[in-house]
Amino acid sequence: MSDVQAETPTVADFARTFRRIQAEIHKVIIGHEQAVEELLSALFAGGHVLIEGVPGTGKTTLVKTLGLALNLSFNRIQFTVDLMPADITGTRVILSGDDGRREFTFQPGPAFCHILLGDEINRATPKTQSALLEAMAELQVTVSGTTYRLKPPYFVMATLNPIEMEGTYPLPEAQLDRFLYKVRLNYPDEGELTRIISSTTGPEDAGIEAVFHADEAAARVESLKQLVREVMAAPALEIYAARLVRATQPQNSRFVSDEAKAVHDEMVNRYVMFGSSPRGAQALILGAKVRALLDGRANIAREDIDHVAVAALAHRIMLNYAALSDGIDAAHIVERVIKSVRAAKV
Amino acid sequence: MSFPLQDRRAEEKLGEILGRVGSVRLRLNSLAIQHAIFYTLAIVIACGAAIFVGAYLVSPLIFLAGAAVLVVVAASGIVSAVRAGWRMRASAAGAAAVADDRAELKGRLSTIVALAKDETHGPLWSYLVEDTLGYQDQFAAAKIERRRVSRAIYPLAAALVVAALAYPISKIKHAPQINAGSDGQDDLTVDLDDLHLRPADPGDNSGMQVTADPATMRRLEDKLARESANGGDVAGNSLNSLVNRARDMAGNLQSKLTGQQTASKQRLNLRLADADQNQDQDEIHRAPETRKNKHGEVAGQFKQELPKSNDALNLPPEDDARQPNAQPSSNSTGDAGVESDAGQNNPNKDDSASDRSIQQSGENSSNGGEAHGVGADPDSLFGAPASSKLGTEGFEIAIEARPVDHGAKGAGHAYVPPKVRTPLSADQQPDEPVARVAVPADDRNTIKQVFER
Repeated sequence: MSDVQAETPTVADFARTFRRIQAEIHKVIIGHEQAVEELLSALFAGGHVLIEGVPGTGKTTLVKTLGLALNLSFNRIQFTVDLMPADITGTRVILSGDDGRREFTFQPGPAFCHILLGDEINRATPKTQSALLEAMAELQVTVSGTTYRLKPPYFVMATLNPIEMEGTYPLPEAQLDRFLYKVRLNYPDEGELTRIISSTTGPEDAGIEAVFHADEAAARVESLKQLVREVMAAPALEIYAARLVRATQPQNSRFVSDEAKAVHDEMVNRYVMFGSSPRGAQALILGAKVRALLDGRANIAREDIDHVAVAALAHRIMLNYAALSDGIDAAHIVERVIKSVRAAKV
Repeated sequence: MSFPLQDRRAEEKLGEILGRVGSVRLRLNSLAIQHAIFYTLAIVIACGAAIFVGAYLVSPLIFLAGAAVLVVVAASGIVSAVRAGWRMRASAAGAAAVADDRAELKGRLSTIVALAKDETHGPLWSYLVEDTLGYQDQFAAAKIERRRVSRAIYPLAAALVVAALAYPISKIKHAPQINAGSDGQDDLTVDLDDLHLRPADPGDNSGMQVTADPATMRRLEDKLARESANGGDVAGNSLNSLVNRARDMAGNLQSKLTGQQTASKQRLNLRLADADQNQDQDEIHRAPETRKNKHGEVAGQFKQELPKSNDALNLPPEDDARQPNAQPSSNSTGDAGVESDAGQNNPNKDDSASDRSIQQSGENSSNGGEAHGVGADPDSLFGAPASSKLGTEGFEIAIEARPVDHGAKGAGHAYVPPKVRTPLSADQQPDEPVARVAVPADDRNTIKQVFER
């Protein structure tokens, strides 16, 4: 952990810093404004991001640029089918000491950094994918019975390639649930594409300026993350977030026990196999808090929750085959749920 | 580290915010109460006016049904209005939410109101209070809710207009009543089939009194007995009884509302035809068209089917069929039973018999499928009416009914407007009754040929 103690930032500091990081990223990343904002929101909310996009849309570039802008340590793992958990977490190796004695020494894997990019994470086996679970959730890895703490801030960004599905392993639901947001990178439009061409085929590289100094970057990010936690949420809005999450759960699910005051949408009952977990509600509130700070407020509003709902809940909803056959995606379900909960006066 | 002065300022600012939210809440709750009260008043006034007008305009049974419907509608409407008002009430959090929404404060007020009771606040609390106070002009009560008076005042005003119109409407149109003799005429035409007879309730002096000669009275008594004994099944009788009771109740209610006596409460005296022989004969011998032209007359025809038992009404035997083109005769047996009974107290027996034969021929014609009035059948002009099929024979009784102001206890006086006599013009001769003369024998054949042509 950094020894530098950052001053307590204000609401204005947060918004200013956020916008500055955003601007630095957009020196390289053309377009994808919403994706960049969600990426940074997840970072300051203390979560991780799953980035889904077709090849060539700047997934890896986005993550690398973020690392440069924050001036934090950055590692990249290219997930392949033969990747082993030890390749991520690290392993114990036999090293010879100065005295010639050989002993097992823990060699940290790429997981030991501040920003980790797991490229095409769905190409690794579930066993390897699960190696990230402990790191993402608990900021620690356990190797050979020994637990090693990771230095905060710890931010995992995994990319998914939605095409070329052969030889891929869909992420386990438990791992999906650990990502605060799922960010989708779409193809750039014509204007953006033109700017990408002109900015990436010239002789000059876009100069990324680090927003923080290297020795204070981690502390500054942590203080901003702490500020996010200080944003106030009225109980009514916490109830609203809870209702949103409960409304994603189908009525006939055997895991839903208390039906009272639950809002049910017919589309959810028809297309959803499993709804969002409680982590979804946490993601809603944390994301809304970041939004509130960006808006200069110390409190969240319902609009903040609605704004982050798709990114926070869509990847936590498991659709059934009927949804696949009817072309229904989870984002559509979430939008329907928002309307249903808003309309319902429970 | 906090300073007392700083804390006091923060408390003052918080108090100011909460005070403004309280003002918003007060105004919202005031509107909610107004909503409930105004709608309740509007419903009560509108329904009351409708019932008041209905008391004048419609018959008792329709009035009773309509009033019942209106009362149910009004009750449900009042419940809905009160419930709507109750739902419109605002708690402090609700008022803050409304203010947030209308002033676009994005949950600032809701958060402050919800967290103000907490003893400890986070480091951003003072920022939130300060930030929210910067919008204080936007969440003033007058800006959040401009109205001081609920929009429910419009339905109330409309109801008051309806109520104001109800009185003149009730004065313009009155409920249909049997204002016998109200137009200065004395006669009322009533179909006997439509006349339902039932004994008056004990002590009820408001019923109709019928006076007639003994024979006619006996027929009415027979009809009364028949209707009481076997005039319908038990269910029908009980239903009639219920309907009558409902009618009486509605009539009483209408009377209370309008201050007038309704038809059911008016005391009428029906005096049957044979009671006043001379006048009745003039009345009976009038052509039907003539009588019909006397709109609103009191004298009428009671049309009654013959009972199966001829003895009961002293009617002639069934084989006593009258022959067509029979000559009129005082000894005609066509209506012997009636005539013999009626004629006992009737000095002008011949005329009475002749009258009955004329009426009966009309009835027979009617039974044959033609709707001739009394005396309109050429076959019966000068003789006994043709016989009809057995069991379909009927007769008509001409009775005369006049409202009589007896001043009976519990009964109101029927309104009899004063007769207006318009002076005749100088060229007009006063009407004089045409003397009844017998048709010369020579002319009879001529007239008969005309009708047979």
